[in-house]
Order: sequence, then C-alpha cells, then structure tokens
Amino acid sequence: MTSLASLYARLPRVVLFAVAGFIQLALIAAMVIDRAGVLRDGKEITLQTRPVDPRDFLRGDYVILSYDISQIPADKLEKQGAQGTDGTKDRDPVVFVKLAPQPDGFHKPVSAHFEPVPVSGNDVLIRGRITNLRYCTNCPTYFVKYGLEKFFVPEGEGRELENARNQNKVTVVAAVTSSGRAAIKRLLLDGKPVYDEPLF
Amino acid sequence: MFENAYRQRLDTDLARWQADGVIAPSVGDAIRAALPPAPKSINIPTVIGILGGLLIAAAFLAFVAANWTEIARPARFAILLVGIAGAYSLGAWFDRSQRPYLADISATVGCIVFGASIALVGQMYHLAEDFAAGMMLWSAGSLIAALLTGSRGALAVALAAGCIWSGMRISEMSGTPHLPFVAFWLVAAWLAVLWNSAVARHLVGVAALGWIATVFFGYVDRTSLNPLLPVTACSTLLLGAGLMLAHLASGALRALGLTLSTYASFALALMLSPVGIHEFLSLKLVAPNWALLCGLLGTGLAFATAAIVRRGGPAFAGLALTCALIVASGWAGALALPQPWTIYVFALASMLCLVISGMLDEVRPRLVAGWLGLGLMIAGITWSVRGSLLRRAAFLAVSGIAAVVIATVLGRLLPSKEAAR
Repeated sequence: MTSLASLYARLPRVVLFAVAGFIQLALIAAMVIDRAGVLRDGKEITLQTRPVDPRDFLRGDYVILSYDISQIPADKLEKQGAQGTDGTKDRDPVVFVKLAPQPDGFHKPVSAHFEPVPVSGNDVLIRGRITNLRYCTNCPTYFVKYGLEKFFVPEGEGRELENARNQNKVTVVAAVTSSGRAAIKRLLLDGKPVYDEPLF
Repeated sequence: MFENAYRQRLDTDLARWQADGVIAPSVGDAIRAALPPAPKSINIPTVIGILGGLLIAAAFLAFVAANWTEIARPARFAILLVGIAGAYSLGAWFDRSQRPYLADISATVGCIVFGASIALVGQMYHLAEDFAAGMMLWSAGSLIAALLTGSRGALAVALAAGCIWSGMRISEMSGTPHLPFVAFWLVAAWLAVLWNSAVARHLVGVAALGWIATVFFGYVDRTSLNPLLPVTACSTLLLGAGLMLAHLASGALRALGLTLSTYASFALALMLSPVGIHEFLSLKLVAPNWALLCGLLGTGLAFATAAIVRRGGPAFAGLALTCALIVASGWAGALALPQPWTIYVFALASMLCLVISGMLDEVRPRLVAGWLGLGLMIAGITWSVRGSLLRRAAFLAVSGIAAVVIATVLGRLLPSKEAAR
C-alpha cells in the first residue's frame, strides 16, 4: 500500500492526467469492441417485427421495434426462479428465451426460463428482461425486452420505416452469442436489406 | 471561504482587544504571525474560466441530443475520443502551469464528455437499453479519473452517476439494498481522507444520503412497503461509524467522521419525522434482518465510542439511535394505530437525545438536525387528521409538562456555568 502510494506520488502529474484520459478512452472503445464481438461471433436469428401503438411512434431519431418474441405466453414460462433473496419477486427479472427456427424462416419462442438452459441444433437462447411481472403475478402474457427495441436512423427516415413496420414488412436479423446477448445486425424491408450494421 | 471569514473575525477581535487593553499589541502581532499563510482563493478569471468549462461541457451534452448523422460513424467516434483526450490534455497543461482549479475543471469536463460519449456510442451502435450499466460505466470511469487527477469535480460526477446507477438497480431488484454502490462509496470516502478535502467529504456525505434515499424509494415504489427500518438502520450505521471516527481518529479521518455524522443526523431526523403522517405509517412495515443488524451495529458503535472516550455526546447519540430503532422496528407498537402514543414518545425522545448529543459534543449541525426533527414531528402530530384531536391535544400537553418537569429537575441538579466558575 505504501509502495503504491509512493509510486503515485513519484509519477508526474501529466502522466496521471494521461492515464485517466486513456482509461476512459479504453472504456468507450471496449463498448464498441464488445458489440462488434456479438455481431461477429453471434448466431444469426431472424425476427418478425410487429406494429406498435402509433402514439408512441418516433421519439427523436430512433424507431421503436417490437417483435413476435416480445410477448411470451404464460404457459411457456418456467415459474420457478422469479423470487428474490428476501422472498419477494424481482421487479424486472432476467429471463432466457429458447428460440427455434420455423418453416417461415422466423425464430419463435419455445420456452422461457429464469436460468440458462442447454440448447441444441439450430435453437438459440436469448437473454431478456420481463417488464410486466411487477404489475401482475399471473399475467396471461409476459412482455420481454431484449435490448433490440431501438434502432437509430438518420433524421426523416424513421416515419417511413415505422409505416412499413406497422404493415409487418420489417424484419430484423440479430446476432445472439452463446451467453444470450443480442445485437441488431441487419434490417430488412420486404426481405431486402436496408440497413446493414458494420462491425465498427 | 470559511478560512477568510475566520481571519477577518479574528483580526477584528484582536484590534478591539488591543484597543481595550485586554492584550498587549505585541501579543496581537504574535497571534497574527502564528497564523499559517492564507490559502489561495479563486480569482475572477478563474471563475470565468470555470464557467467557460461548464458551458463547453453543456454544449457537448446538447450535441448528444442533436442529430449528427451527416458525419460518418467512425468520424463521430473519433470526435468523441478527441473530446476526452482534449479535456485531459488541457487539464495536464493547466496543472503544469500551476492552475489547479482550471486543471480540476478540465478533468470534470473530461468526465462529462466521457458520460456523453457513452450515450452517443449507445446511440450510434444500437447498444442494448441498459441505462443503469451505462451509468455504472460513467461513474467507474469518473472515479478512476478523480483518483488519478485529484479532481473534486470528477469525484462529484462519479458520485452523482453512481447514485443514479444504484437507484436504477434498486428499482429492478427485489427490495434488497444495492451493495456494489457501498464498495464504490468506500473508495470515494478513502479519497476524501487521502486528499483531506472538505469538498470531497461533503460530496461523500451527500452521496450517502442519496443512497439512503434510493433505499427509501426502492421499497415505497416497489411494493408499497414502509421502509422506515431499512433507512433508519442505514442512517444509524452511518451516524455510529461517523461518531467513532470523529472521537477516536485524528486528522482527515476525524474530519470525515464528523461530516458523515452530521449528514447521518439529518438523515435520521428526516426519516423519522413522518411518524405523525398516518398515510405513510399505514403501509406495511418491512423489517429485513440486514437492516436490524445494521441498526444494532450503528447503535453499538455509538455506545462503544461513549465508553471509550467517556463523553456524554456519543452516549446521548446512542440513546437517540436506540429510540429511533425502537420506532422503526415496530417494537414500540404498531405504527398504523390511529394514535400510536408510544411511537410518538420514542420518536420525540430520539430527537431530543440528538439535540442533547449535539450540545454536549458542541456540534451545531447535529443540534440543528435534532431540532428540525422535533419541529417536523410536532407539526405532523398536531396536524394529523386521524384519531381524536382532543386526545392528541392531551398527549402534547402531557409531553410538554413532562419536558418542563425534567428541565426543572435537571436545572436544580446540574451545576450552572456561573457556579462552576
């Protein structure tokens, strides 16, 4: 401890300022590199978007996306595991949703769990958070967010994309890592890519 | 600021005492000569420079809201990095040219730009909507900057972002306190001791109150539980630990203990003050074991301090904490009764003990906190709309008479200051 303090005292102040700035730069870079890792290594899934309440359309310059997998029927959710350590339930518990590809090419939920479960073949496990468990204990449907619900677009392009989304014409290709983290990789309009996310 | 006020008052007193013949002119001169050199105060150009730095930081934040899609994404990313690097380069230059305030503000601007960069990178790369994780990253990066550069502004940014991070995590959690923040806060407290800085001590104290507030709102907002015990326990532990440091430690650690005990006193007074409000008390009392342990530990620390230093101040603080715990834990009876007289008695006794503790230790803020609690409690009990107003009047009258009787007895038993002389 003393040697650390003496080392700190010996270092020139310019170096300390430089290290502080460098660490913050490194943290910002880590965010981007981490996301690039999800896109590069993640397994691709295709998701069908669904219409969103038109009053909550475009806020700023991003499009709100909702998916078929955003709503999980209660019978697909494993009930154990939502309890907190003091016996009360978590407000927005983490959930792992097992997705399987369907004949139409889209991935659909097979089951949902509060702990990671093994998957096989083309199935994918995606991590999300239930957002309505705080309001009801026996909801017929659970709403899940995966971190794929916002897509930032250039100014003026959001409205067109949202109109297409409300006509079920927008499809999203996402990359999902083995730990369940997901990132949007591609946005398709009528099956044609309109936004392709570069790694950097 | 306070140092200058003290010097001005001392100078006035010395001049008066010299004129009245109380002290010889040579004594007055010797006292003046014994004072250490006055600390460098902030001058006008520095104030304007600080304002400029804050405006630049605000401009960068406004940039977050603006649509800047015309610039290519790698270029946007580079702008962010240049912003951070520029702020720290400027800070290093100011530090080298012996302008510490401007160096501090540059590091603060660097931290604010760092926070804006996290938001912008999230926007540019469509990163997941974990706002709390972003706040944690911001607070951690700013705390590292504070540690390395010694910037009080960076510490302020770190603690503010940390409180928001903790508050957001608590809102997602199952009613348990967010302990990672405590580790983060301890690092900040260590910095305050290391720097021996009043600003840092107050920042750490404010952050402790912020965290206690997040515990409060976490319970109330979550399941409409009454969080009186968890928040009282947190305040109790902070006050007990603060008192121990203030009485047993020395130097910077003692100063930190004094500051923390002051903030904890206000937290205790504010948390206990709604005991007269029926709507708050009618919520179901939550009594987790961790809170009970924290409360007992804090009370034990106060009494242990009193036993070690053999002083009445910490002992009365311990009594105040004991009474507060009795109220918050529900041991004095159900809080939701229309007229919980015993609750009122213990709550008022708690604040009275806090006032006496402040008087005995000659710590004015603790005394003010106790009076504030007493005033708010009496107001709450008087204006409470539940129960019989006549009985309420009788309770207040009996309490008042009891207080006057105690005062009279003590007045006769305790030697007056004049007699002591």
